[in-house]
Amino acid sequence: MTQNREDYFGSAWLGVIAILFALLFIASHSNEILKQIVVAPVSAVEAGLHADCRADELEEEDLSLQECQLMLANVQIILASSPSWFRPFQIVLSSLGCLLAIASMNAGMSLVQKNKSSQFALVSFVALLLIDIVGFIAAINLGPLLRAQYLWPQIIWIAIHLSLLIPVFALTTKIGTDGVVK
Amino acid sequence: MLALPLPAEDISYRILPFQLHKNIGLTLLIIIVVMVAMRLITNREQAAQIKTKREKLALIDYWAIYVLIGTACLTGYLSSSYSGWETVFWWLVDFPAWAEESDELNILFSDLHKWSCWALLLVAALHISAALYHGFRNDDQIKKMFDPK
Repeated sequence: MTQNREDYFGSAWLGVIAILFALLFIASHSNEILKQIVVAPVSAVEAGLHADCRADELEEEDLSLQECQLMLANVQIILASSPSWFRPFQIVLSSLGCLLAIASMNAGMSLVQKNKSSQFALVSFVALLLIDIVGFIAAINLGPLLRAQYLWPQIIWIAIHLSLLIPVFALTTKIGTDGVVK
Repeated sequence: MLALPLPAEDISYRILPFQLHKNIGLTLLIIIVVMVAMRLITNREQAAQIKTKREKLALIDYWAIYVLIGTACLTGYLSSSYSGWETVFWWLVDFPAWAEESDELNILFSDLHKWSCWALLLVAALHISAALYHGFRNDDQIKKMFDPK
């Protein structure tokens, strides 16, 4: 006679963590989509315009003049370091990431409610891990300025999704009432 | 969004993110009002049954989240109203400019918006901690939250 590990140990905690990280993942990738849409390659900044840093605006935003100028430099870094494939690639990857994160949120709810097999959660986390790995490969192929922005978050997400995937993988294995893995 | 360059005649990076930010905030405000009304109508009996300290704390946390989301959304809208920027709800409905531009009131409501957001993050962290606590205890409390029947 065998039973699922999730009956044995309980999987609600994993479901809660999965939902939490799915929400953060959606927030992160939604921001990325917005960033890529807003910072379009054909823009006035490429023509070398200077930042308009009015004193009243600086006071209102609580910024120094240098910070205001560096904000424009930040955009110029994105434009100068992005290869032509990067923008459409990021929009597609982040959109896919958001959809898969919604699926993993559903998987998290299933783990809490124990109303679906953990196979669904397993597939969701594998898919999210693949998104992270593809993002990581893209990041290492960028110029140094953008690579510095993208590489570290990608590594963190790989670690997070791996940490979710392994317990779910362990839950899917069957154990006997004697505690022996079948 | 905050790291995007300040808007100018040729630099308009902030327009889309800010409009989207305001639209999401105003939509959230409408949802919160509906949710509070629903909760007040349906959960009166449930609230009367609350006895333990932990249950009282959970109820306070719950209401704090509602109040802080509402405050964050409202102060954000007020700040925007006094900034002189237009609000077009989901690019469909023009909200009337009911306030004169005022830097002082813009900064005041902007500060209130910022601090209510920080407070909301703190309360959300408490809420997440409570969810994790029940998750690790495996006491089926979270299951009840998803499916109260």
